[in-house]
Amino acid sequence: MSSASDVSFLSPRSATLLVAPLGALLILFFAYPLILTVWQSFYEGGFTLRAYAELATSTLFYKVLRTTFVISFTATLVSLLIGYPVALHLSRQSPRKRTFYLMLVMLPFWTSILVKSFALTVLLGHSGIVNQALGFISGGTIQFPMVFNRFGAIVGMINYLLPFMILSILGSLLAQDGNLARAAEVMGAGPFRIFRKVTLPLSMPGVIAGIIINFTLSIGMYITPALLGGRQDMMIANLIDFYTRQTLDWPMASAISVVLLLISGALVTILGRVRGGAGVMGVA
Amino acid sequence: MNAQMKPPVAPSASSPLDKEPALAHLAEPSTPNAAASDAMIEVRGLSKLYNGVAALSDVTLSVGKGEFVTLLGPSGSGKSTLLNLISGMTTPTAGKILINGTDATTLPTNQRGLGMVFQNYALMPHMTVFQNIAFPLQVRKIGKDEIRQRVMDVLKLIQLEHVADRRPRELSGGQQQRISLARCIVYNPPLILMDEPLGALDKKLREGMQLEIKRLHADLGVTMLYVTHDQDEALTMSDRIVLMRGGKIEQQGTPEALYFKPQTVFSADFIGSSNLFPGKLSKDKGGLMLRCAAGAFDVPAADGAFVAGSAAVLLVRPENIMVETPADASGRQQIAATLKDTVVLGGIVRHFLETPAGEQIIAQELNQPNRARLMRGDAVKVSWRVDDGRLLPAERA
Repeated sequence: MSSASDVSFLSPRSATLLVAPLGALLILFFAYPLILTVWQSFYEGGFTLRAYAELATSTLFYKVLRTTFVISFTATLVSLLIGYPVALHLSRQSPRKRTFYLMLVMLPFWTSILVKSFALTVLLGHSGIVNQALGFISGGTIQFPMVFNRFGAIVGMINYLLPFMILSILGSLLAQDGNLARAAEVMGAGPFRIFRKVTLPLSMPGVIAGIIINFTLSIGMYITPALLGGRQDMMIANLIDFYTRQTLDWPMASAISVVLLLISGALVTILGRVRGGAGVMGVA
Repeated sequence: MNAQMKPPVAPSASSPLDKEPALAHLAEPSTPNAAASDAMIEVRGLSKLYNGVAALSDVTLSVGKGEFVTLLGPSGSGKSTLLNLISGMTTPTAGKILINGTDATTLPTNQRGLGMVFQNYALMPHMTVFQNIAFPLQVRKIGKDEIRQRVMDVLKLIQLEHVADRRPRELSGGQQQRISLARCIVYNPPLILMDEPLGALDKKLREGMQLEIKRLHADLGVTMLYVTHDQDEALTMSDRIVLMRGGKIEQQGTPEALYFKPQTVFSADFIGSSNLFPGKLSKDKGGLMLRCAAGAFDVPAADGAFVAGSAAVLLVRPENIMVETPADASGRQQIAATLKDTVVLGGIVRHFLETPAGEQIIAQELNQPNRARLMRGDAVKVSWRVDDGRLLPAERA
């Protein structure tokens, strides 16, 4: 909180100088393309709302938007349900054990999303390990199509999203003073009441941050649904790709990008307002 | 305020106003084993190993109903381990714990019916002051109206009614600790454990809180087991001090007994400041004499453990040491010394002296402003009455 006074030995001018290289890089490779995209969505030889008007009446766009939200919501919810118990378990380990388990959590995080997606195709495919095991157990009667459909896309996304959810919840669990649960226990509360009245409410900032991070990442997901999903599971990012490379309608692609950006922006704004959420986003 | 409150969860609690046991213990404070019916806590042969290292070894202790007992000791002495074992946060490696007559050795923490006050208050940050204090009552499934009544009563008792709807972080440290006390006494636990409750407060607040805790202890007649590493706090508050060292009880007794009759060098050194003269005993004109680096002194009569030829340590408290110019010195046993420094602590003056043999001596006297003060570097005579000294066994290596 006192960071402003901590760096007071730097004059404003030298502080600006230190930030300049990164600033230049961001302006050149982030801000400029972004502005260009926004500009392109309005400019086709002259100012026009053609792309937005077309979007507003496009059934394909609405269908893709709905698919995106349903898939993102499901993936986020399942990550929460899987991630919370994992985070709770991690929070109760000794620091040494926790470091080891955290590495396991982070392992997929450090693996290329492309590699992970192809690996999942192998695991979940028609002759993948899971289906082979199912076939072996059931004598060949049970087989589930698990890739190139919505299930595959969601599994792939959860695989990618889980570390974000776990880390975010773990952060708010570890920030809790251990004496609070102890105090509740001394006062006679059982484990379930302690969880419901103390641990869970105090971890809500982490939960909400995790949900918003996961949802924001989900709605912009591109490779995973493209590689593991089916034709029916096109998401917004895939639609942008479709307009960019298939129909070459760049203003349309730009307009969709702007809409996606606005949705993500709105979510991040909400995140910033959640108590504790700001810390997760690194803007404390 | 106790009279109208419902009895605490632990059904066997005595009436909080019954102070008989406390008085009994004041009268005979160093009795290590109170009669079983009078004991709130009975600890027998309690040990705790952490990875093979003993944090507590074979401790036997009894705390009477209504007594205020302090576990005092440096960090690592086992005082917190003992508290954690009594609260049930950890399970003992060996030994037995009885709370209020029932075997609680393996009883889960939440069934022991205790109260506990933590150093960092441990107030729930997401609850208001009211909700915090109501929490233990809700656990006990008490009706809404009664909860409101009891929470407001206890807030009135600590004079913080006006903060009921605030969150803990909006309060000062002293206020937060009073709320945490209130949260504890609201459900009338027969035993309250306090883990360095004043450690986070500044000196002035700490002194105020010491008095407040003493007052609550007297008013409620509750048994308190208090952990601190602060000897002044222990001396001020306790009916009995249990001094701990290396996982064992070094000595226990009233604050007075610990101060004036320490049994070991560790006790003498930990409580109050002390001048210690290690040396060897020898016979002299029917009495004993201690030969040490600073000289040879007559020592007070001591029990049979001290015989000529054995090593011993002579303790003289700074306030029993007189510092005089060589001219005033009378016939008492004396050491020549040089005054190194003088510190004025308000009403008290402390002299730091050095003998020709290089031993440091601390002397303390009341500040008498109209008397000429000794100057740094002055050659002086240091003396004390033989009976003010106390003979201690030589420190075990």
